[in-house]
Amino acid sequence: MDEQPRNLTEEITHLQRCVNDLVSALALPAMWSGGEPSQIVHTLLDALLRMLQLDLVYVRLTETGGQAPIEMVRFAQSQKHIARPHEIGDVLKQWLGTAPQEWPPLIRNRLEDRDISIVPLGLGLQGEIGVLVAGSERGDFPRQTEELILSVAANQASIGLQEARLRSEQKRVASELDQRVAQRTTELAAANEELRKEIADRKHAEEDLRSSEEKHRVIIEAAHDAVVTMDERGAILLANPATRRIFGYDPTEIVGKPMTVLMPEVMRKAHENGFKRYLATGKRHLNWQGVEVTAQRKDGQEFPVEVSFGELTSDGHKMFTGFIRDISERKQAEDQLRASERNLQTTQAELARVSRLTTMGELAASIAHEVNQPLTAVINNASACLRLLANRNLEPEVLRHALEGIVADGTRASTVLARIRAFIKKEPAEKGALDINEVIQEVLVLAGRELYENQVLPDHQLKTDLPSVMADRVQLQQVLLNLIMNGIEAMAPVTDRPRLLGVQSRIDESGDVLVAVSDSGTGFGFELDRVFHPFFTTKANGMGMGLSISRSLVENHGGRLWAAPNSPHGAVFSFTLPASVGSPS
Amino acid sequence: MTGAPVVFVVDDDPSVRSSLKFLLSTVGLHVESFASADTFLHNNPPDAPSCLVLDVRLPGLSGLDFQRELAARKIYIPIVFLTGHGDIPMSVRAIKAGAVEFLTKPFRDQDLLDAVRIALERDRARREQDKDAMILQRRFDSLTSREQEVISMVVSGMLNKQIADQLGTAESTVKVQRSRAMEKMQAESLVDLIRMIEKLKSPSGNTR
Repeated sequence: MDEQPRNLTEEITHLQRCVNDLVSALALPAMWSGGEPSQIVHTLLDALLRMLQLDLVYVRLTETGGQAPIEMVRFAQSQKHIARPHEIGDVLKQWLGTAPQEWPPLIRNRLEDRDISIVPLGLGLQGEIGVLVAGSERGDFPRQTEELILSVAANQASIGLQEARLRSEQKRVASELDQRVAQRTTELAAANEELRKEIADRKHAEEDLRSSEEKHRVIIEAAHDAVVTMDERGAILLANPATRRIFGYDPTEIVGKPMTVLMPEVMRKAHENGFKRYLATGKRHLNWQGVEVTAQRKDGQEFPVEVSFGELTSDGHKMFTGFIRDISERKQAEDQLRASERNLQTTQAELARVSRLTTMGELAASIAHEVNQPLTAVINNASACLRLLANRNLEPEVLRHALEGIVADGTRASTVLARIRAFIKKEPAEKGALDINEVIQEVLVLAGRELYENQVLPDHQLKTDLPSVMADRVQLQQVLLNLIMNGIEAMAPVTDRPRLLGVQSRIDESGDVLVAVSDSGTGFGFELDRVFHPFFTTKANGMGMGLSISRSLVENHGGRLWAAPNSPHGAVFSFTLPASVGSPS
Repeated sequence: MTGAPVVFVVDDDPSVRSSLKFLLSTVGLHVESFASADTFLHNNPPDAPSCLVLDVRLPGLSGLDFQRELAARKIYIPIVFLTGHGDIPMSVRAIKAGAVEFLTKPFRDQDLLDAVRIALERDRARREQDKDAMILQRRFDSLTSREQEVISMVVSGMLNKQIADQLGTAESTVKVQRSRAMEKMQAESLVDLIRMIEKLKSPSGNTR
């Protein structure tokens, strides 16, 4: 129901105002350009409240695209109560219902204690944007012009909000896009980094592998030993350059051939059997480290090698690598060493014999005497008997006595000769279980005359029940005779004290048999250990070999020979010999 | 001369000792044997011709040392050396020092017996000489010291006048002393006197 204008002037003024308001309303979008929906609503409400003298104006925007719904309300300044926008909203919802199509154009109702007319206007074609509610306590509300302005403002707001929404949506989409792009970019960057790292790792690993392989390759290529790898069938997979030097085969030439080509014919079957057995049972027929076997060169020449094996399983297949060292030179050196040791032994034995002869030479005078004495007695007795016979002076007792003397002296002479012959004969050392005391006694007999003529008093203290020693009798005699002769000579200048030659036998701390020959001679002075050096001598006509040879003879028997000063005068030469087990003499 | 000849055997070998004794006994010689030089020295020398059969190689004192030792003790006993191994320098030394013989063991029995015989004869002769020399010595000892002086100068070929000049006496005094000394020495001529004085000067036993 339209209120009639009171007069034209009023009408014109009203229309003018209306036109102004319309212009303002139409100008609103210019203010909103680029604005946010809340800003649009804000200016819309302010503008409508000012232009139409409303008591309340309310806008609710539906929620869109994640944006919270906006509710806003403005009251005229005259209104004393101020409700919150959602309280107003709740009330209006009860009044209006939810469907904008069913909204009545005008609702009069009581709001609190007053009547109020409200005009709801949907924003957007279907009211999908929201709702604009204008309310006034005036009875003529809404007038036609007010309706027009409200509807224009609502349209403008719809357009503005639509744009804003669109813009906001675009913005959101753009930002979302940006965000997605950014996220994707980050993801890509991370993936890229990951990839780079992986590539780097792989490269590193490859380099490591390459360098390690290179190292191994260099080692194997440069190895002095032949390195040959074979597979489970016994076929050669790989051979290093040293193979050529050692076996005469080009490394490429033997790849694929059986390992047995590197062995002499006679060994091949044994190798194949052993290898088969190993594959079947895991039992090794040889020690795999440093076993010495015979190998065969391409030209058929056989030579000794030392072989070590290693086993490797790769992709389920077993591989065997042999490190083969040519030990021909070593073997040859060993053989030479053995031969020169044999030579040395022969030379030593010969030297020992020469030394024996020298000792005998030194003894010759007394030995000649030793033989001549009984011979002289024999001849004297026999001559005397002949004289008695010639004179027919035949007293049987006298003759018998003389003849008995002849027999005894003849026997004595032959004993001396046998002893000498045994001593000087050239025989290889023949060790047997000996009673050391027996040997000492024999040598004392041999040296008896020297002792006697040099007025040397022999003093032997021989321990009975000594274990026997494994020794060569003649060599042992030689050592003892040498020591005794040295002792006798050392005492030749002695005139102010007895010349005592002690010969002692006993068991030493370690259970060896020990023999000590001591004298009361001039002693050593400075020569204590030099006396054992070859060609060292204190004698005017000595060869200087006696003690050196004696020492080596004793050492050959597993014993020791050493010298020490005797107290108060002279020297002691001692030697030990291992007691032979289980055969007491 | 007193007593039968004695052969001393010194050898350290009992067999050799007894065989030597046996052999020498077959020619009727008396033998005394010793095992060492020392035991021999402890034995009083007999007043009879004797000789020594000595082994060169003896314990302690060697045969040659023993020979020197005897000479030092003025025991002039002829020695027959026996040696196990005759080396020439040793035998030369022994012979020079007055050994009768140097026999290498074993020796022919006759060689030993001959050597012993020679040795005993030499000892007998020496003993004779010793006896003569002893008589001369006794005569010489009976001279006054001036008479001994004068005849020493006479045998050296000096004239009476020269002797008188040297002694610071008269020639007539020298003449008297000379004739008295000739009388005491029982010298028949100047030549005889010279022979006697020569004999006195030479040591006994060394007749070569």
